Amino acid sequence: MIRVTYSTCTRYPNFTIISERSAMDDSGKSVVACLRKHGVSRRQFLEFAGLMTATLALPPHYQAQILHALEQKKKPILVWLEFQDCAGNTEAMLRSSHPTVADVVLDVLSWEYHETIMAGAGHQAEAALARVIREEKGKYMCIVEGAIPTADGGVYCTIGGRTALDIAREVCGSALATISVGACAWDGGLVKSYPNPTGAVGTQEAVPGVKVVNLPGCPHHPANTAAVLVHYLTFGEMPALDSYNRPLFAYGKIIHDQCERRAHYDAGRFTEEWGDEGHRKGYCLYKMGCKGPEANYNCPTVRYNDATSWPVKAGHGCIACASPRFWDTMSPFYKRLPNVAGFGVDVPVGKIGVAVIGAVAAATAVHLAAVTVKGHAHHDPSEEDKTLVPPSHSIKRED
Amino acid sequence: MSTASLPPLEPQTTATEPGAPLVELYVWELPIRLAHWGIVFSIVVLSVTGYYMHAPFLISHARTDYRMGTMRFVHLLAAWIFLGSLLLRLYWFFMGNRFAHLRAFLPHTHRQKESLTGMATYYALFRPEPYHQAGHNTLAAVAYLLMYMLMGIECLTGFALYSEVLGNRALSFFVGWLPRLVDVQHLRMGHYFLMYVFLAFLIHHVYSALLVAYEERNGLMESIFSGYKFVTPKLAREEAIEGEEQRFGKKEKPRP
Repeated sequence: MIRVTYSTCTRYPNFTIISERSAMDDSGKSVVACLRKHGVSRRQFLEFAGLMTATLALPPHYQAQILHALEQKKKPILVWLEFQDCAGNTEAMLRSSHPTVADVVLDVLSWEYHETIMAGAGHQAEAALARVIREEKGKYMCIVEGAIPTADGGVYCTIGGRTALDIAREVCGSALATISVGACAWDGGLVKSYPNPTGAVGTQEAVPGVKVVNLPGCPHHPANTAAVLVHYLTFGEMPALDSYNRPLFAYGKIIHDQCERRAHYDAGRFTEEWGDEGHRKGYCLYKMGCKGPEANYNCPTVRYNDATSWPVKAGHGCIACASPRFWDTMSPFYKRLPNVAGFGVDVPVGKIGVAVIGAVAAATAVHLAAVTVKGHAHHDPSEEDKTLVPPSHSIKRED
Repeated sequence: MSTASLPPLEPQTTATEPGAPLVELYVWELPIRLAHWGIVFSIVVLSVTGYYMHAPFLISHARTDYRMGTMRFVHLLAAWIFLGSLLLRLYWFFMGNRFAHLRAFLPHTHRQKESLTGMATYYALFRPEPYHQAGHNTLAAVAYLLMYMLMGIECLTGFALYSEVLGNRALSFFVGWLPRLVDVQHLRMGHYFLMYVFLAFLIHHVYSALLVAYEERNGLMESIFSGYKFVTPKLAREEAIEGEEQRFGKKEKPRP
């Protein structure tokens, strides 16, 4: 079977992790039982529960509740759909070197379908998906990665001969819950950015009527995605969402307020050039176009690569990858403000503003000169009644 | 236009007597003057601090500085003064005297249209003197109405940006819809660009006020401090007639 995708990078279909932790034979067992079977120690499991409690911004005593829930609950079935994507969110999930997040999440869930990592291929794989939809209707979780093209009948991304739009409508439509991970699945991301030749849209737009939890970011943070699933397992409902259907625990604060360089910002200490003294001293990257002040995410606290670092800590400004349509709205990434439409990239809005002031000042000077040359209008008060309107110079001054 | 039924003017004069004393006319009420100076003060403060927030031109190296923090604090403080002044002005569009009332800003009467073309031809140097009106001339009034709208947009964009940072529900209730409509970066750009528009307007505003004050010699510049203008009895009479008409309707329809 040939998969035709417009924008995806290479896929490695058949060698895998999942084959070992085979989802099928574990289904029905409790989470903890499966974890133990796969060599996750009690200690690692406790660590994981602690991490989830912290990520969800819950008070510490909830850790016990989370543990309890994970011990009791049956493994939920999960399918992971990939459409117009770079598999970056999958990579983010798999590349955690620290075992807690990736291993535990992979074991907490019963992964029935994931194009990149599943063992099955071709008709077998599609049959697995069809089985889930048929037998587990309304009981499985669906994670979507990548945008969904709508132009020309959706031909720009087809899997097994079916369009992404068709698959998403069917799979998300009969899922218990749908989670969009990454910028592309959220609002189209890079694929939808100008000029959007494939008519790509996010999951929410492609599958109207389905309540989607969005986890934007480029890529998403696996701890956040795990936390949403853990929240669902523990409390039986999705976490509180903002107006973009993003979980508040991860997207409720602006990056600027959580940034370790914030003190430099408040003090007025700024990097003015890459590699200058301020940059070497770790000063604020505001003048280098950092979008931290307008971006919502918990990137500074959860951090990437096993909580090692995040862009601003590494010395690069934030590009607001979890903000709406960030490729279009947040670029240029190294400038404070966007380019002005119709003025090219070299004319910042400030220059246009100065030109406006200059034009008004020049016009004023010209007018003043003209008025001076023309002279002040002196009236003979006796003429007053003949004029159209009453002039005010009706007083004879002493001089 | 009959003036027979009008109450006598104080002081009682015939209109066009040369050398007649000027009549003191209360034009700008206290709320108008307060709003005006509140707007002037806050725009100056907001421009300086806002420009610093856009492009911090003073780089600190001291450990104890709190420069950006102070700039932002002052900017927000001035923003509330700006908003308060604008709201006061908005209120006075409906509660104020006829010079400040919204009616004076929407050209609909014959006199206003005459004033509009009169002032336009005056500025184009085709007419030797300004069109005389005790309040705003209509061209100015239309320009001010436009500026008030831009100030409203400035306030709206500013508080929308603030609400993004603050995360306050009450504030988001009023302005939270805006970042959904226009992305934050373009809001910020518009907010920044309007500063230049206001500064350009400031140049024009002061120049035209000085020019007309020089032509009319009616205490125009002083009136924004004191509230009073000094007009000819004829103009005062005209203004009084217009005021009467606005209050009781046109004279053609006899009152019961």
